Amino acid sequence: MAHLTDEIASVLREEISRYQSGIDVREVGRVLEVGDGIARVWGLSGVMAGEMVEFPGGITGLAFNLEENSVGVIILGDYLKVTEGDEVKSTGRLLSVPVGDAVIGRVLDPLGNPLDGKGPVVTEHRRPVETLAPGIAERQPVREPLQTGIKAVDAMTPIGRGQRELIIGDRKTGKTAIGIDAIINQKNSGVKCFYVAVGQKDSSVAVVIDTLRKHGAMDYTTVIVAGASSAAPLQYIAPYSGTAMAEHFMYNGQHALIVYDDLSKQATAYRQLSLLMRRPPGREAYPGDVFYAHSRLLERSAKLSAEKGGGSLTSLPIIETLEGEVSAYIPTNVISITDGQIYLQPDLFFAGQRPAMNAGISVSRVGGAAQTKAMKKVAGGLRLDLASFRELEAFAQLGTDLDAATQQRLDRGYRMVELLKQGQFAPMDVVDQVLSIYAGTRGHLDEVKRDEVADWEKGFLTFIRDQVPELRSRIETSKELDGESERQLEAAIAEFKRQRAAKSGGEARSMAAAR
Amino acid sequence: MVNDSKSSPGPTHGSHVDIAVDRVAKIYAQAIIEAADAAGCRREVIAELGQLAREVLPKVPQAEAVFGSPKVSAEEKAALIDRIAKGRMLPTTVHALHVLARHGRLGILAPVVHAAERLADDLDGRRQATFTTAVPVDVAEQGRIVADVEKALSATLTPTFVVDPGIIGGLVVRVGDTIYDQSVATSLSRLGGRLHQRNIHAIQNGEYSWHT
Repeated sequence: MAHLTDEIASVLREEISRYQSGIDVREVGRVLEVGDGIARVWGLSGVMAGEMVEFPGGITGLAFNLEENSVGVIILGDYLKVTEGDEVKSTGRLLSVPVGDAVIGRVLDPLGNPLDGKGPVVTEHRRPVETLAPGIAERQPVREPLQTGIKAVDAMTPIGRGQRELIIGDRKTGKTAIGIDAIINQKNSGVKCFYVAVGQKDSSVAVVIDTLRKHGAMDYTTVIVAGASSAAPLQYIAPYSGTAMAEHFMYNGQHALIVYDDLSKQATAYRQLSLLMRRPPGREAYPGDVFYAHSRLLERSAKLSAEKGGGSLTSLPIIETLEGEVSAYIPTNVISITDGQIYLQPDLFFAGQRPAMNAGISVSRVGGAAQTKAMKKVAGGLRLDLASFRELEAFAQLGTDLDAATQQRLDRGYRMVELLKQGQFAPMDVVDQVLSIYAGTRGHLDEVKRDEVADWEKGFLTFIRDQVPELRSRIETSKELDGESERQLEAAIAEFKRQRAAKSGGEARSMAAAR
Repeated sequence: MVNDSKSSPGPTHGSHVDIAVDRVAKIYAQAIIEAADAAGCRREVIAELGQLAREVLPKVPQAEAVFGSPKVSAEEKAALIDRIAKGRMLPTTVHALHVLARHGRLGILAPVVHAAERLADDLDGRRQATFTTAVPVDVAEQGRIVADVEKALSATLTPTFVVDPGIIGGLVVRVGDTIYDQSVATSLSRLGGRLHQRNIHAIQNGEYSWHT
């Protein structure tokens, strides 16, 4: 015990001896009114827009509205602890969050405070939550692919490193699943992942975190949570904080992926703040600068030039539509900001096509530049073919007699749809994707029954792995499907078909014998 | 912190502020000062209005109620003003009161006077300052402190002294919205914060024997 006292005393002595007394100069104001996550403050005459202010008890706020006689502050914390008459200090700093390797694998709130019970985030590095997006000179075109491991996405709407691809759809159409699959697929790719949960049920977020953990994805992922019960200010800044943490890696020449789940809830939180702050409401009661709120956020995703280290930040914003209404205010805004969208449709989802991606209106404006040569070759016309198949399918339902060519196109389409179905949390390697899609688009599945397509694909990929591994590694290293590889692949498919036929023939014979 | 409404008058230091009233008060204050300047009696007019708002009216609460009441007509208020102020106060002061009465703003006389005082201080290059100490200081000491601070800030101050044992020791000066704090209480809390931070790091790095 004496030893303990001595040790504490020595720490105190040391600290006091190092203590430099100085005048604490601060600019202050006084809370006039407080409620719903915002406060109106008298004084603070020198405060700047976006500056961090401090309430008693260490609660931080952000100067949001500068008015003639008062300052509107959004409270980032428990606003119930702030009372009328409290002193508010300006800090002269911008809001910042901890960044760097220390945040990887953690679950944090939008201020960088841990929520996972694993102790404080110990890092020297911090980044302002709001920063300017890199300028034109600091960027280069997106050309490196970011594989999501989802056949439909990688083949038809390829995503490049530095791209912003919107995931849009009604509730329960698998939007989050695409984001999570993309994160899970980044294992061993060196891409750092960030999942920003805004306004979601805490139970859903817990499920997401558990899934990521089970698939080993928490080793390179940070989850930023501002749940449905968090105050609107926290929900509003969560995407910006997540971006600040992800940007740190981009500016250090690394690659990062961020999923904003979802931006419609962030817009709702921002609308709440703006209305409480008495900013004039515009369309759908959103404030006039809601477009800017999203554009300045998504502009921060970029592929940096080689001089800047060549790092990248890819973002997958998610928007929830109501009854498939893509022409609502927020969806149109975000569609116009992003470099393409993956549109998920409920009827496709319930018809069993998962991911329920509508090939017709899903696009990637970066396109083939973000695909490997092999994928580009096999999946070139796939999206348009599928879109025209959908039209043809609607037409065929009328019961008209079809000519052989149309029937053949329909059959091919049905098989491609089957081939593009993919289970959740089962990302597929890009070479396997190339092999599967090659078999489908070149008509090797035309004779296979529709309900056997998945089985055929599985068998085929196993066959390639086991019996022609050199072909697989050839495509993997060259990332190309040259004449020689194509010839070998055709031969392999023929051989697989022969083995499969023999096997099923043998099965049929043995069943007959058993009878 | 300081919250002594008697010794620190005005909305900047008090806890209750009505922004709308303050905004209106500033406009009337500006007009009164300009009128008083034209008549060459700024200081006197403000002093008279201050005396009325802070010394006379609090003694006669009924008068305050009458001034603020919308039930009493402007004419009656004007007559009342004439009876109490005419001949006793400067014509500009009386006119100012009449204007306030005519617009139904006599009820905010105190904020108007406060705004006028602040505006006059601004025009003279003076700034209001509140000095907070843990123990009362004598007048000589007060003069020395004010002179030192005026020199440091290169500004002329209108000082108000407040005693707050909560700061333990030292001095806290508030000029406008800026606080210059060299109190023992703040120093201690800063030291506490640093020890806290340091210990978080030390415990995480396993530096202390008592932790293990």
